[in-house]
Formats: sequence, structure tokens, C-alpha cells
Amino acid sequence: MSPAVIDMSVTWLLPLTVFLPWVGAAAVLVAGRAGRTLRALAITFAVADAVLSILLIPQASSRTGFSLVLGGAFGELSFLPDGFGVYLAAVAAVIGCLAVIFSVDYMRGEEGQSRYYSLVLFFIGAMSGLVLSANLLMMVVFWEITALCSWALISFHNDDPKAVAGGIKALIVTGLGGAGLLAGALAIYAQIGSFDIPTFMEKAGGFPPQLLAWIGFAFLAAAAAKSAQFPFQTWLPDAMEAPTPISALIHAATMVNAGVYLLARFAPTFSPVPGWSLSVLLVGMVSAFLAASMATVANDLKRVLAWSTVSQLGFMVYAIGAGAVFQSQFHLLSHSVFKALLFLGAGAVIHSVGTRDMREMGGLARSMPLTCVAFLIGALALAGIPPLNGFWSKEMVLESGLASGPFWAYIVMLVTVGLTALYTLRAVWMVFFAPPVAQHAHEAGPAMKTALIPLAAGALVSWLLAGPFHDLFLRTLPLHFPEAHAEAAGMAATWTAALEVLSAPATWLAVGVVVVGALVWAGRSGFAWIGTRLRGLRRVAEAGYGFEAINHGISKAVEGTGEGLRVTQSGLVNWNVGAMVIAVIVLLGIVLLVGGLGG
Amino acid sequence: MSVNIWTIVMVAVFGLVAIGLYGLLIIRNLIKVVVALQIFAKGTILVMVAAGAMSGKPAVGQSLAITVLVADTVVTVMALALAIQVRRWSGTLDTREISKLRR
Amino acid sequence: MWIQILVLGSTLVCALMAIRASRLLVSALWLAGCSAFLALSIALLGAPEVGVVELSVGAGLVTILFVFAISVAGEETVGVKSVVPRPLAWILMAVFAVLLAWLALPGLVASALPRDALPFLRALWVERSLDTVLQVALIFSGVLGSLGLLADRREVGRASRKAGEGAAP
Repeated sequence: MSPAVIDMSVTWLLPLTVFLPWVGAAAVLVAGRAGRTLRALAITFAVADAVLSILLIPQASSRTGFSLVLGGAFGELSFLPDGFGVYLAAVAAVIGCLAVIFSVDYMRGEEGQSRYYSLVLFFIGAMSGLVLSANLLMMVVFWEITALCSWALISFHNDDPKAVAGGIKALIVTGLGGAGLLAGALAIYAQIGSFDIPTFMEKAGGFPPQLLAWIGFAFLAAAAAKSAQFPFQTWLPDAMEAPTPISALIHAATMVNAGVYLLARFAPTFSPVPGWSLSVLLVGMVSAFLAASMATVANDLKRVLAWSTVSQLGFMVYAIGAGAVFQSQFHLLSHSVFKALLFLGAGAVIHSVGTRDMREMGGLARSMPLTCVAFLIGALALAGIPPLNGFWSKEMVLESGLASGPFWAYIVMLVTVGLTALYTLRAVWMVFFAPPVAQHAHEAGPAMKTALIPLAAGALVSWLLAGPFHDLFLRTLPLHFPEAHAEAAGMAATWTAALEVLSAPATWLAVGVVVVGALVWAGRSGFAWIGTRLRGLRRVAEAGYGFEAINHGISKAVEGTGEGLRVTQSGLVNWNVGAMVIAVIVLLGIVLLVGGLGG
Repeated sequence: MSVNIWTIVMVAVFGLVAIGLYGLLIIRNLIKVVVALQIFAKGTILVMVAAGAMSGKPAVGQSLAITVLVADTVVTVMALALAIQVRRWSGTLDTREISKLRR
Repeated sequence: MWIQILVLGSTLVCALMAIRASRLLVSALWLAGCSAFLALSIALLGAPEVGVVELSVGAGLVTILFVFAISVAGEETVGVKSVVPRPLAWILMAVFAVLLAWLALPGLVASALPRDALPFLRALWVERSLDTVLQVALIFSGVLGSLGLLADRREVGRASRKAGEGAAP
């Protein structure tokens, strides 16, 4: 295709990918009460957007594809279809489509379905906009829209106080992070007069180092809050009150990736800042280890998966800190697939059994065979068993960490890999193979199966895309990969990479750790004495290592201040007039001080 | 600063405004609050006339003064009607009593 | 000029007495006095039309309104202790007045521009006719609003009971 034709189609493909789901959201709201029309509309728009986003991938380029002048300081609404953007948009749209299909069965008979589907579609569009955006201010807008949808969907069952509390907590923590992003964006605007991302990344060398450091750490805070990394990890487990397809879409496969995306995109700009890369690496490492330990003691199936998400995101952040941006994004791709698979499988289980507590499940392998197989595939991918996609990407992350990061960090990550295997096997065993606790369970419905099967297939084969994926990055991200190869290596690169991974000693070390983890679980009765010795540690872990307490303290402080200040809003006309007079006096004083009215 | 007629007028304006605001701060009876508001508004009328004369456009200043007067009278009418309603519904005209917000 | 000082001073004294009066009726009467002196002052300043309107509306209409309202609502002994402590109110007002005076007075000169010879009536009805139209509309809406507010008690009770049963208006 000639360049002119490529440009043309990208120009309408980009805004369509972002805004078509919004049209769908409006259509679903108008369609009103639950029924065939509603579901058909939702599925149509979701599938259409998934197709569009996949069509976008071959069009990826490093040039801004679409821009609409918004006027004034807002700059332009511009979209840049580069490597990060197109694949994350495709992930959002495809997994969003599968979540919508799954929801047809999961949400059958629930109230407020039009609200649900329209929020999901609204979210998918906003997420695509976030990753494709080339204007920092617009990215902040999309960022906050995703936070809004996340809150609305977590509190979807708004008569359940736990759900409402979870939603508010998520909103506040991610909102604080969003403030960091906005502050960084404004600082950038103040320095170069534009919100355009490619412009910023080119001119970043000319920023005063202090300012660049502030912006870098502000972005790190925003990313850590959004991706539930240390020290902002408290919101993700409580967000599990959301309906499970939402947990699969928003809190495993898309929104929490936004933080990792942010770090990856701006990594070459901030890596010269002293201490930034190390901080990123540490944040990732601590999150990974902490979360893995919490997953080992959790009894709620979704909580285990939530902590596992935090832990795997920690791996990705760790990789970025070690300078391995491609490896982190590849692991992001694998993780989105297998985590969504795990969540949807968990959703099928929870829907049929009616509880989230793993101690009340067991023996479901017999009654839910397909779900069991799908969940098992996801679990093996999570634990890093070859030849599933999780194995390849995790090994690449560990290798690059060993090569360019501190050695002690690598050891911690290795231990985390072992813990991952441990908690994954524990979950699988407790849900599917343990002696059954009396309950009645049925196999997943047809729509659920339709969603589970492609994801399971993806977990088996998505690693084969490594080569083309790498080429995509090389082609479209000049700042990240300055020494781009001239020819596209294609699938051949996959096999080379695969061989590299298989032959690296680090790989076998990691596999060994996984096996050790599995053996520990298998022989756990023998290790029971460790359990009793470590009981204190277990209690601390269950209480969230004190972070929940900090969180609680902060919200109590905010509420207390509000109560204290309530006395100024008494409704008494005398005090209101008093406040007005004081304000006028202050204003007059300022006028006098600044220069007074003319003589 | 030469003390001419306009200085005196402005001093009187500030005095009226200050007395009116003082009343709004002090008074607890709703109807008397309306009295204080009226005094405040008289200051505004005076300043409109004075400003018009001082800036060489007396006619404009005076028609603005009439506007302020009419508007303020309508406000007084509505405020008194509301005060009567408050008296009927809650039985008291005390600003402290009728404020329903918790203190 | 001395007459002006005297008249304006009386205005201020009447205003102060209106605030300090303890009975509502007495307060309304002091307000009427304040209006009368102010009308005189405005007329002396060269705006006789405004003075006439101020006298009839401020000293006449508003006083009658107050008397009516006081007779309907009834005198009530409200606590003397003010919500905002008196010393604080004094200080605030003193600061306020001083600041205003400091800002506004030094630059006060009559403008050297030629006096615009627009007659008042032309200004009111032609140049600022929109103002006048809006004032008429305001007067009508004020009358209608107060009529609605002061509807007969029995009807008001029925209306409120109906509102209580149905959805909130």
C-alpha cells in the first residue's frame, strides 16, 4: 500500500477505535431495559471495536496519525499509533469484547444492565484513548475517565456497602496518583509550552535536571497508584467487589496496565535522572514480593488473583527499572491474556458455586471440566511453566534483570517466582482438587465458554508473537530503540529468542525454583511446623503489613478535619455575612499591598 | 487631599455601608436584618448619584440609582414575605433558631 | 456645604439608631427618617428626581411594608446576645471602613471632562430603557412572588399536606 493510503486509513481508524465504544455506550443507555437488544448492541459494538483495533496494528507508525486542533492551551487531540499504543489498544478492545460476551451469562438477571454495559463500553474507549494519545493533557483526561468507570463499576452493586467502600478507596488512591500525572503535565507545559508527547521527549534533555527529576517521580507516583504498586497497593484487593468480568477487564488486563504503560513510554526520558531507574526497580521488586506473600495467605479466590496481579505488575515495573522495556511489555501482553483467563475462570466458578471463599470450594474438576482445564492453563502460565506464554515472558524479564539490575534484586525476584508457583498451585488445588465441601456446582454457560476458550488458546500460543512484536517496537519507537535493525526479522526472531531463553542458565534456575515451590506445596504437611513458627508473620501478612492501617488512618484524618470544619458552614446568616466581610477585607488588603488604585 | 463636597459624600457612603454591614453581623431578628439591608442599599444609591456626578455623566448615574432603588425595594418585599413565612412555619424569627444545620 | 454635612450626618445618626433600636416598629420609623434625610441630600446634590423617588419609596412604601410585616409576624423578643460577638463586629467594620477610605478617598476629584448635558428623563427612558423595562418586570415578579408566599394560611396548609404526600415539587 502506498504511504498516502496508509495515512488516510489511519486517520479515521484511530478516532474510530477510540470513540466507537462511546457511541456504543450512548446507544446502550438509550436502549434502556435489559433484553436481547441491549446485549446485542453491546456485543456488536465491542466486537466492532476489537476488529478495528486489530486492523490498526499493521498501521502502526511513529508519526502522529490523527490530530484535531482543540484551541488554546489544550493543544490538539492527537493520537499516535506506535508500538505501545496499538498493542495495548488491541488488548483493551479484544479482552473487553471477551468480557462483554462473558457478562452475557454472568450478569443474567441482574439489575441495571444498561448502566453496566454502557460503562464497560465507555471504559474500553477511554482506555484506547489513553494509550493512543499523543497529547499529555488528553492522556490525563482519559486517565481520569478510566478511573471514573472503574469506580462506577466496582460500586456497581451499590446497595452493598463493601462494594461502595471499595470503589471509593480505588477512586481516592488512583486519583491521588492522577494528581501527580497532572502536576507533571502542567510542569512540562510551563517549561516548553506544549503538551505534545513526542515534542516533550525530544526536548527533555534541555530541562533543568531538578525539574525533570520532579516530573519523573511525579509520574512514578501516578503509575504506582494506578498499577497498585507499593506503596499504593491497598486498593486492588478491595476492588474485587466488582463483578468478576470487570475484575478481569479493568483490574487485570487494562486499567492497571496504564501505570506500566506510562513508565514504559517515558522510560528513555527519565532514565538519565539519577535514582529514577533504581526507584522504579525497587518499587517493582517490593510490590512483587509483598503481593506474592499476601497471595499465599489469602482465602478469597479473587483476592489471590488480585495480589497476583500486583505481583506480576511488579515484575513488569522491575523490568522497566532494569531498562528492559520490550521484555516488560511482552510480559504485559502475556499477563493480560492469562490473568483475564484466570479471572474469567474464577468468575465461572464463583457464579456457579455462589461464594468466593476457597475453603468452601473443592472437587470442582469433576463438575466443571472445561472451566478447570481453562483455569489450569492460566495457572500454569502464571506459575511460569513451559511452553505457556507466561514462561517465556517471565524468563525474559528475569534474564534482563540479572543482566542489568542489582544481583540481590534478582534473588528476591527469584524467590517471588517460587512463591508464585506456591500460591497458584494452592489456589488450583483448593478450588478444583481438594475434597469437595458440600455444594452444588454446574458447568459454565455457553457465553462464558465462548470467552474462555480464545483466552486459553492465547495463553498457549501468544508467545509465538514475540518476533513480530519486537519488530513492531523497533519500527515505531525510535527513542526507545535507537539502533533499529533495517530488516524486519519476523517470526524467525521468535525462534531465536526462544532458543536464547531455553539455553540461558538463568532459565533453568528459575524453572528449578518453580519446581521447588510446587514440591513445597505438595509436601506441605511436612512443612507444617514452618507454618506454626511463622504464625506471627502470617498474621502480619493477612493484615496487609500495616498498609491497611495507614490507609484507615488517613481516611479517618480526612473525615475528622471535615467534621471539625463543619462549624463554619452553620447556615447562620450572621456568620455568612461575617465571612463575606472578612473576604472583602482580605481583598482590599491585597489591593493595597500590590499597588493600590490609581492616584 | 482637598476636602470637597464629594469627599463628604463618600465618607457618608462608607458610613452607611459600614453601619448596614454591622447590622447584618449583629442582628438576630430576621425583620431587623431586612432593615440593615435597606440601610446598606441606601449607601449604594448615594454612591451611584455621586459617581455619576463626579465622572461627568449625571444622567446615567441617576438612572442607575433608580434601578438600584427599585431592585432593592423588590428584594425588601420578597425578604419580608419570606420572613413572615418563616415565622409561620417555625414559630420564631431568631436566626440562630431557624438555622437547621447541625452545629 | 455645611447643609450637606448636616443632612448626611443626620442620615448616619438615624441609620445607627435604627440598628440599635430594640423594638421593630421603632426601628422601621428610624429607617423612614434615614430615607427622608437621604432624599434631601440627594436633591441638594443635583438629582431632584432621584430624591423624590427615594422619599416616596424609601420613606413611604418601605415603611408601610415594614409596618404590615411587623403586624402580621408579631413582635418577638429575640435574644440580645448577638451571634457574632460585638467587639469582633466593631473591629471588622472599623477595619473595613478604614481600608475603603484609604483606597478611595485620596484620588477623589471631580472629573475635568465636560459635563454630559443629557437630561435625566431622556437617560431613563431612552438611553437606559432596557434597565427600565427590567425594573418593571422585576416589580411585577416581586408582587406575584410575595402574593404567592403570603397565600392564605388554610390554603398553604392544604398545599403543604398535598406536597407531603406526593413527590417533592
